[in-house]
Amino acid sequence: MSMFFRKSVVATTGLFLCIFLIVHLSANSLLLLPESIARSLYNSYSTTLRESTLINVVGYILYLSIILHVVYAAIITYKNRKTRSVSYAVNHKSENSSWASQNMGFLGVLVLVFIVVHMANFWARIKLGIGESVGLDTDGYVDVYQVTYDLFHNVYYVLFYSILMIPLGFHLFHGLKSAFKSLGFYHKKGLRILAKISLVYAAVMAIGFGIIPLIVYFK
Amino acid sequence: MKVTCKIWRQESADSKGNFKSYETDGLTEDMSFLEALDHLNEILVLKNERVVAFEYDCREGICGQCGVFINGRAHGPHDHVTTCQLHMRSFKDGDTIVIEPWRANAFPILKDLMVDRSAFDRIIEQGGFITAKTGTAPEANAILISKEVSDKSMDAAACIGCGACVATCKNASAALFTSAKINHLNSLPQGRPEAHKRVLEMTQQMQLEGFGSCTYTGACEVECPAEISISNIAEMNARYLKAKLLS
Repeated sequence: MSMFFRKSVVATTGLFLCIFLIVHLSANSLLLLPESIARSLYNSYSTTLRESTLINVVGYILYLSIILHVVYAAIITYKNRKTRSVSYAVNHKSENSSWASQNMGFLGVLVLVFIVVHMANFWARIKLGIGESVGLDTDGYVDVYQVTYDLFHNVYYVLFYSILMIPLGFHLFHGLKSAFKSLGFYHKKGLRILAKISLVYAAVMAIGFGIIPLIVYFK
Repeated sequence: MKVTCKIWRQESADSKGNFKSYETDGLTEDMSFLEALDHLNEILVLKNERVVAFEYDCREGICGQCGVFINGRAHGPHDHVTTCQLHMRSFKDGDTIVIEPWRANAFPILKDLMVDRSAFDRIIEQGGFITAKTGTAPEANAILISKEVSDKSMDAAACIGCGACVATCKNASAALFTSAKINHLNSLPQGRPEAHKRVLEMTQQMQLEGFGSCTYTGACEVECPAEISISNIAEMNARYLKAKLLS
């Protein structure tokens, strides 16, 4: 199996996850509204998602994407590490490349830890029914808002959710622009614009996802 | 000018190497880095010690022979220069300069600072050429090529095969070298007949040689003396995917 195939898988799944994050952040911004409106909107939205067949199919593609992205990235990292048995005594990497680009594996592991905890907090409880059962709101929808509200009134979770958005931001910044290169986008001016788009995208995602737990905490 | 050179010494490919420090006096700021190594070797000869083995040929920045890792950077502290074009004025009196060979499993060390870069030759053997009739040179205007295309091809052809891209890459990837060689020929009409075969076979050899895959840190294009752009790697990916789909 060629390195091009592996890179293409990581790039394609990565781009799909990037699109997912936009949808996810848009929905999460509902949490920033005043509680009276936010609760019913958020709960009806999440119920609609759970009941839609299309979204369920997309959900399975999403799980598969995360798994493929992690597995193939791990294989690539493992193979790449084997290419240099003796490392340099002195190596000033920071003078020729960004820190994020040199540490995608480490950043990826942090993001994966976040995803596991995040899915245990929400997906496992709401979708799989593991742990404490979730109540209904006054409209009869599963009260996902309350789950979020409770979680983000635990200071440790607030810090965990907010701080881990920093590595996510760095990972997205390098990942987004690199995915296009892996898939063969080579227009020079386009790549320069893409680098700027990646920076803006990564910043919006990191700040957006990072600030919501803090705002909910102080609400 | 006096500096301490901390140099990787290794007797042969199979022996174990280690760093050795040499106080080197009598240098001038005008000396090129290779002249400073020559100077050190003269001192070693007079002391009846084994000289430091390092590679060079043209000493004017075009042959690609003289690559070494100097103070944590391929070809030393500046961007886009070869080791021979680095001068001692880039260092201060009393500095310690750490000098290492290129480190990559695909570039085994032969002796001291010399590595075996024949992996690059084997990649070229897989398609870094075009089919051409022997005999007299063809009429120059028989194949018309636009200025943009010829410039782009020439930019890629500027690669001197020094190996700095592999040396500086965290994955020891030869993607910049291989992509430059592929794009140089595949962007020209003369390279079209074997275009798909070239990209598939050269990239396969690149993988067989044990080079890593590109993760776009961009370190290679910073260290490249010929300023080969990393967009070449993306272009190689496009050509690879196209060749894979069409052949």
